[in-house]
Amino acid sequence: MRTALVLLLLLALAAVAGSLVPQVGVADARIAATFRDHPLRARIFDQLGLFDVYGSWWFTMIYSLLLVSLVACLVPRARAFVRNLRTRPALARELDAMRHYAELAVTDPPEQALGRARTLLRRRLFRVSRPNGARALAADKGLGREGGSLLFHVAFLVLLVGIVWGRGTGFSGQAVIVEGQTWTETHANYDGTVREGRFFGEDHSGVRVHVDDFRATYRASGQPSDFVTHATLLDAEGRELDRVAIRVNHPAEAEGVKFYQFGYGWAPVIRVEQDGEPIFDGPVVCQQDGSPEGLSQLQIPWNCVVKLPSLQPQVGIRLELWPDRRGLLALLETGEAMPMLVEYAPVMTWEAFEGDLRAELVQSAGVLDTAAMRPLDTGVLGAGETVDLGRGLTISFPDLRQYTVLTVSRDRGLWIVLAAAILILLGLLPALYTSRRKLWVTAEADGAGTLLKVGGFALQRRSQFEDEFSRLVRDLRRVPEERVGS
Amino acid sequence: MSTQTWAELSTGAFTVAFFAYLFGMLAAFHFLAFRRKTVWAVSVAATGLGLAAHLLSIVGRGVAAERIPLGNMYEYSLLLSFLVVLAYLVFVEGLARVRTVGGFVLGFAVITMAVAVLFLYVGPAPLIPALNSYWRQVHVSSMIVSSSLLALGGVLTVLYLVKERRERRLPPGSPPIMGGAVSLDDAPPHFEGGADEPPAAVSPARRGWLPPSSTLDRLAYRMIAFGFPIWTFGIITGAIWAESAWGRYWGWDPKETWSFITWVVFAGYLHARATSGWKGRRAAIVALVGFASLLVTYYAVNLWIVGLHSYAT
Ligand code: HEM
Repeated sequence: MRTALVLLLLLALAAVAGSLVPQVGVADARIAATFRDHPLRARIFDQLGLFDVYGSWWFTMIYSLLLVSLVACLVPRARAFVRNLRTRPALARELDAMRHYAELAVTDPPEQALGRARTLLRRRLFRVSRPNGARALAADKGLGREGGSLLFHVAFLVLLVGIVWGRGTGFSGQAVIVEGQTWTETHANYDGTVREGRFFGEDHSGVRVHVDDFRATYRASGQPSDFVTHATLLDAEGRELDRVAIRVNHPAEAEGVKFYQFGYGWAPVIRVEQDGEPIFDGPVVCQQDGSPEGLSQLQIPWNCVVKLPSLQPQVGIRLELWPDRRGLLALLETGEAMPMLVEYAPVMTWEAFEGDLRAELVQSAGVLDTAAMRPLDTGVLGAGETVDLGRGLTISFPDLRQYTVLTVSRDRGLWIVLAAAILILLGLLPALYTSRRKLWVTAEADGAGTLLKVGGFALQRRSQFEDEFSRLVRDLRRVPEERVGS
Repeated sequence: MSTQTWAELSTGAFTVAFFAYLFGMLAAFHFLAFRRKTVWAVSVAATGLGLAAHLLSIVGRGVAAERIPLGNMYEYSLLLSFLVVLAYLVFVEGLARVRTVGGFVLGFAVITMAVAVLFLYVGPAPLIPALNSYWRQVHVSSMIVSSSLLALGGVLTVLYLVKERRERRLPPGSPPIMGGAVSLDDAPPHFEGGADEPPAAVSPARRGWLPPSSTLDRLAYRMIAFGFPIWTFGIITGAIWAESAWGRYWGWDPKETWSFITWVVFAGYLHARATSGWKGRRAAIVALVGFASLLVTYYAVNLWIVGLHSYAT
């Protein structure tokens, strides 16, 4: 027990470290800042795994050792408990030396008095045994304390196993899907990295999500009230499985894969033509990188990039989208930003560059590296308009759509973890609130009646047992009327 | 009434509750020192009045915001302090009939409320979608109920340590320092010790200002043993909510991390109580670490450490 507790404490200490040092995947920007401002400290932290406490080898070691030591101490306890369950309570001597003891003379004969005591104790859920021939009973109660405690500890073990197995065989990542598009659940289609567990067998589901539309609603104050993605879920062969509305707190599920509403953004449809021939046509996903101090995300424009690598020299276009034209106008006229809650005559400013896109260096679709480019032209483009870029190129903005960001994950251990958590609670209650009690009754003939001797004790909650004991004695004293003198 | 009126009613009732507790606290300390029964009665009456006003403040807040008032740190603190005082009246004054620790509990409530208005106040407003979940209500309310019980256990543990130290320093049989705890002898039997609780074997002659350390220890244990499963339940429902909101039931976000740390420390306390040689002072120190961890979970994480939960500040 010592070892397990020390390990548990170490787990807690590791968690303290993990909550104070920025963690990979939670606070990447702060990690980068640490590397910039305190390179030495950052390198030491990095070597120690402090930026990824929960994925570090020593964290894994602590909880593996905890598992081992839990098993090591639970096996003997479980054995002892089973042995305890199997054996009947044994008789004891010297009842009068027990913590609680009472003698009472009753009017019925010994056999009947003992029978009565037995019924009484059974009715109160004591286990009662009466060895052959003896005029005595042995009884006990409260195996629930040890049973509950065992259940709690075993369930904690199962919980750990469920977590490790579920995470190990599962995956999670993010999908960016524009309205009207279909996304297929495979490794390559995730936005950014997809976390795949240690024992994951590359068995992505191939489930498809067709996003019919996305809708964000706001209160008059600009506070969001609802985000919903209406989607059709299809299996790997393209058969329709379900039509769903995915909301915050209301994920959808198909073939064990769950889809959670995570974020959203704007995706203008852009068409670029060269001498009347379309060379780019489709929605472009726009992003926002953090809002300046004092402004909300809703008050600032969205950035997106169109790259045309097939041209010679290559062309890149940087777009700044204002989904509500009044937002741009307000900023120009009053210098004050206005929240843009709905689509209203959307407008973009654009900046075109020509030169080298350096595609081998810049992988991200949303970043335009202009180091090897020179400006071509700039301008404004409203919805439904077409403008000239120069070099025989035109750009048009026929439509504005939204995209939704879904968290996609599969965790097969979920049910194990939930069941274990419930069992933890169920075990905890008897382990904390019941007590183990032992009781003995002997009967000796006393004239026409019987002298009953009752002794017992409780291992926990002794004072409550005092009450229980005196109530029992009182009830034993009460001989049913018809038996008197018989 | 308009929501504006309700909001004003809520802040007004808050003020009444705050000063009622403050007054009750002073009276309770006066009683601790001079043992005038009328002063004790005044203290309890002020506490009762404070509780009524406090309840009104919580209800008014809910009506003004048009939702259950469990949306931000101010509202959590409002309910937490209410439940600490309520649990104190019911369990310590009512069931255990221990009458000398009220000042400390009210002091805790007064500090909690002062921090709430000074640093955590935000006006009543509706919730963002992620917070709008049935599981979240269950999670937050069980976390607050258990926090109040664990915090009450923590206050009692501090008093236990103070008293235990004093008892150890006294030579056996020395006269009482002051008065003697009132009504300890008629404490109901179910607050007596068991195997997991030390015996109440301190002679009346050695009692000082506070109730005997064994009584404080037992009360603290009861509060923690009551609060611990509720804390466990709160973590589980929080995980269920996190699963539906963010697609993972556990993400080591600072609030989650600290609630886990608190859970582990109190589990350590329960073990210590069951381990011979660890009862009494050593177990109490573990409980104190748990209390500190609870305060970090409750305040520090929201105020200084950022995470997904931080929008609830
Ligand atoms: C090898 C490991 C462990 C051993 C041998 C052990 C042993 C025990 C024992 C004997 C009790 C019963 C105390 C009593 O009823 O008087 C107990 C209770 C308890 N244990 Fe453990 N334990 C271990 C690990 C853990 C772990 C990992 C946790 C998780 C946090 C935990 C949480 C608890 C809790 C909350 C109780 C209180 C219930 C009670 O008082 O019966 N234990 N433990």
